[in-house]
Amino acid sequence: MGILNWFRKSRAVANKPPSGSFTVDRHGRVLTTTVGSGYPRRLLDDTAREVLSLFREARVAQAPLTGLDFYFTGLHIKAREMKNGAIIFLSPQTTPATSSPVRKDPS
Amino acid sequence: MPAGGIILNYSGLGVIDFCMGKEANHKILVLDDDADWLDMCRDFLAQLPAKPVIRTVTSGMQALSLLDTESYQVLLCDLVMPRMDGLQVLSIVRRRFPGLRTVVLTGHPDDVFRARAYEVGVDLFWLKSDLQQSPQLFLDCIESLLGREEDDGFRDVQSKNILDVIRMELALRNSSTLHIKSGRQVAQICIQDGQIIDVRAEGADGEEAFRRLLKWKGGTFESLPAEYGHVQTMNKSLEALILESAQTLKRGANQSTVKEDEDTKFITRMTAMACEGAEFVVIVPVKKEDTAKGFGSIQEVDRLAAWTRQAEKTAQRLGERYGAGSLTHLAGHNLERRLLLVPGKGRTFVIGWPLKADLGQLFEQSKKLAESWAS
Repeated sequence: MGILNWFRKSRAVANKPPSGSFTVDRHGRVLTTTVGSGYPRRLLDDTAREVLSLFREARVAQAPLTGLDFYFTGLHIKAREMKNGAIIFLSPQTTPATSSPVRKDPS
Repeated sequence: MPAGGIILNYSGLGVIDFCMGKEANHKILVLDDDADWLDMCRDFLAQLPAKPVIRTVTSGMQALSLLDTESYQVLLCDLVMPRMDGLQVLSIVRRRFPGLRTVVLTGHPDDVFRARAYEVGVDLFWLKSDLQQSPQLFLDCIESLLGREEDDGFRDVQSKNILDVIRMELALRNSSTLHIKSGRQVAQICIQDGQIIDVRAEGADGEEAFRRLLKWKGGTFESLPAEYGHVQTMNKSLEALILESAQTLKRGANQSTVKEDEDTKFITRMTAMACEGAEFVVIVPVKKEDTAKGFGSIQEVDRLAAWTRQAEKTAQRLGERYGAGSLTHLAGHNLERRLLLVPGKGRTFVIGWPLKADLGQLFEQSKKLAESWAS
């Protein structure tokens, strides 16, 4: 049964971009999340690290930013810098994504 | 309305034209973002004995548009202005209108500003506070600049090109050193007993320097005592050089048409940017080795370009991981402005907008602007 459950979750992830939000600390560790458990935690960790790195590099480039928005055809990723980290929102878009499958979390 | 004058509206640009009388031949353009100061300036300049036509504009784009369509003798320019600052305007003006006399009139008593202004080739740097303290001196200076009217050619020798200037020097059969300046460019010609011995211009020497020098449309020159001990870099007779020069000038005429087109395109793009309300545009080539170009009020172009490339890679990774489809655009903001990154063919356009700009419309506006710049 365990292996069947694993397949069920993977299919859900691949078909639909995630929805919800999560907060991260300054090191990119996820603190709280409303993103469905079908999406690997590591994906959120990676996202947090990438976004925090962009905020840092923007400061280095003399263009400090407090908000970042990635507009994909199938997903809107909204990140807002906070005092000790960031909050990141994931909102699927109505236009269907021409998606490549999400990488399976090996863990 | 000041006594003896008429006020006209110049169509489309919101430019005020003040003419002191029908006999006015000279024209002065005043650029400042402070409308009250412009009013004061117009009344003040109306005292000039030359009775010039005085026009005022409140933005660099308006000034460039007007200079493109009409001939002026003097441009009075403020330095600190929104969107396109005075130094940017003066840099463009120096390149496009080398014969135009330029005067900086600023409220910032900063030596760095002064040095940078003279670096771009302004004729006069004047503080607004000094203007109030010694108005007559300022008027005398402006009157003097108006008196030095010329088209293409070198100051003090009106309607003469650089070849004419050299010919005159050679005709004297003297030994001298000609120092020639055109904007930021400086050249030197060493003449001994009526023969050109050495030429240096734009980092080149000899015939190459001579060829480059011939392309200069105007500037100033100074005849100084001969400097001996120069290495001889010129061996051809003047006639041979002139013959070669004629061929060079002919080839250069075609190239200058291309240059003119580039300048026109540049002005058109800057106008589009200002009309849309953008603060700056940075074009970031995908290839790291290609240089990014910034237009408008942006200083750290290379750093922003590096960040843009990183942001695009990040977006690509996130898009793949989430199966989110292709990236349409990326937006960032802080307390002052918004940044929009619009991916294009082989390059990305980074457009800076004021924070108050309507976010809902910004993507469409940015896309439109990027398309107009890409075309």
